[in-house]
Amino acid sequence: MLGLLFPTSGKSWLLGYPSGDLTVKRKIGFLPEESYLYKFLNAEEILDFYAKLFDIPKKERKRRIDTLIHDVGLVSYCKRPLNQYSKGMLRRIGLAQAIINDPELVILDEPTSGLDPIGSREMKDLILEFKRQGKTVVLSSHLLADVQDICDRIAILNKGVLQVIGGVKELLSQRDVIEFMVKNLSEIDIQAVKSFIEGRSGNVVSINHPSATLEELFINIIQHR
Amino acid sequence: MTLTIAINTLREALRKKTLYVLIGLGLLVMLVLPVIPTTDEPDARIKMMLVVFFQIVVLLCIAGVIFLSATSLPHEIEDRTIYGILSKPIARVKVIMGKILGFALLSAILLAILGLLNMAVIQHLASNLPEEYRGIVKARTEFAASQFDIQGKLHHAREGITWIEGGRAGIARWTFSDLRKKPANKSAFEAEFSPKIESSRGFVDTIPLVVRVEDTNLRRSKTEVLPARVDKPFIVKIDTESVQENSVMHITVFPVHPTDYIGVTQEDVKVFSIQKGFVSNYTKAVIITFLKFLLIIVIAVMGSTYLSAPVSIVSAFVVFLCGHILEYIKDFSLLIQCNDVHDHVLPAMLEKPNILLVYMDYLIKKPLEWISFVLPDFKRFDSLKFLLKGINIPIETVGVSFGYTAVYAGICLFISAIIFKKREFL
Repeated sequence: MLGLLFPTSGKSWLLGYPSGDLTVKRKIGFLPEESYLYKFLNAEEILDFYAKLFDIPKKERKRRIDTLIHDVGLVSYCKRPLNQYSKGMLRRIGLAQAIINDPELVILDEPTSGLDPIGSREMKDLILEFKRQGKTVVLSSHLLADVQDICDRIAILNKGVLQVIGGVKELLSQRDVIEFMVKNLSEIDIQAVKSFIEGRSGNVVSINHPSATLEELFINIIQHR
Repeated sequence: MTLTIAINTLREALRKKTLYVLIGLGLLVMLVLPVIPTTDEPDARIKMMLVVFFQIVVLLCIAGVIFLSATSLPHEIEDRTIYGILSKPIARVKVIMGKILGFALLSAILLAILGLLNMAVIQHLASNLPEEYRGIVKARTEFAASQFDIQGKLHHAREGITWIEGGRAGIARWTFSDLRKKPANKSAFEAEFSPKIESSRGFVDTIPLVVRVEDTNLRRSKTEVLPARVDKPFIVKIDTESVQENSVMHITVFPVHPTDYIGVTQEDVKVFSIQKGFVSNYTKAVIITFLKFLLIIVIAVMGSTYLSAPVSIVSAFVVFLCGHILEYIKDFSLLIQCNDVHDHVLPAMLEKPNILLVYMDYLIKKPLEWISFVLPDFKRFDSLKFLLKGINIPIETVGVSFGYTAVYAGICLFISAIIFKKREFL
């Protein structure tokens, strides 16, 4: 999509332009799998460098850099060279460079890989913020929980072949299974509901207490201390 | 965008201290110079400063610049920082141009700092030189004799050298007819003589010569008796007044004593117009050296668009080395050409070509011919020979060097662009 690899066959278009075209690259932001950044630069310099590649005027460049550094929470560290950054900080500055041009389409490759749960949550919040801003985000990840957490639509590729594509809710919902979530129901009432269902057309598969994800639990614990 | 890449490349060299290391090394070499003993000649120290700067310091810097420019792109690819650039709206050729420009800026800074320092030290040393040795810090324009003839009897001629006997038996005459074409109005003239000397009195290291300088238009002349030494040319100052517009000047020379002989050729007398132009001459030499840097940078970057970092470094060094010995490569290929493929006894008897020589022709001679044709000629950028003789570097020389670099660099850039455009980055 970015012209780093060439298709063995076929053609592809992005936003109406052939992929890899310089015009379309102006409208795209890209965060690679790892933050491959010049470690001898500091946050301001690296953003300025990438902004210049988009020919963004000096004043606008300055404004965007200040805003982005603030948004990714690196104001206190913006003068430090990147070789002193933690992995989470590098991901955040990587994300900032990906949107320095205010892109219509943001392509993120494994945006949460290697991040601690809080870093991962912050990254996901930033991605959701892009969604609120009306940007299209294409995210590729092996961390399915993250995908489920933030994506509206998913596509599954296997060995380069598209297996499935559609909305997350639509693909994950089991049409033949009904789940009731009821709070504070007594054991007698549970048995009554169970008997009622079994007396009708359904079979009770399981009766569970729904659990939070580990990530939610961890964040709850950390944030409440 | 090219400038952005260039500045980033330069900044990397600054932040990673490479530039400082190169400047430090250059300074170290130049600081060692004052303690190295030299010959007794007053201008020996200046000559040493020039040689060390234009050969050792420049070589050190070129080695550093080759190392940086040959590894920059491979490191970008290896570290995958290239993703960040190529995913932005910048043409790949501009990335290459940016890299080249960045290293060119680095070279310019290096040469400016070290060159200025070297020039300042040379000027300081020159201020203490006796007048007769200050030719090295001048910028003389050379005029070759348009005609050379012997009046009277020539003693004998051997290996292109004409020998004449002293005491007016024979007189060597050089004619200069284009003296007014190049020098500025106020420039002074001097003639440099380097004849071979001999004497029937046995070994002598000096013989007296009669030297006469004559302006045919103004009918003015000046005659002097000057000592000619075996190992050193001697110089005659020429009165500026005696050389006028469109004038033809004759210089005649003969040994005073009939027992002395001089051996002369047309090239043994040269006339120079002298200008106080050391700074501009030195600057021209540095500019030519910079073009040499630029050319090797372009070649190193071209190699790095396809090769890994170590292979790229080695290739650039090999090209640099071979570019200095092109003459030998050409000579060697000519030597192979001299061999007749039938010249060995047995094949000649069988009327079959010598297979070894046939293979040698295809495996060595032809590749050598191609190599000498394709490789850049770095000898072209030798400006030291001018400075050591205090000869003005003609602006045409700078222009030709510039043109050669532009054409060669243009071809290399074109090839680099094609290779880099086709590269995939996984």
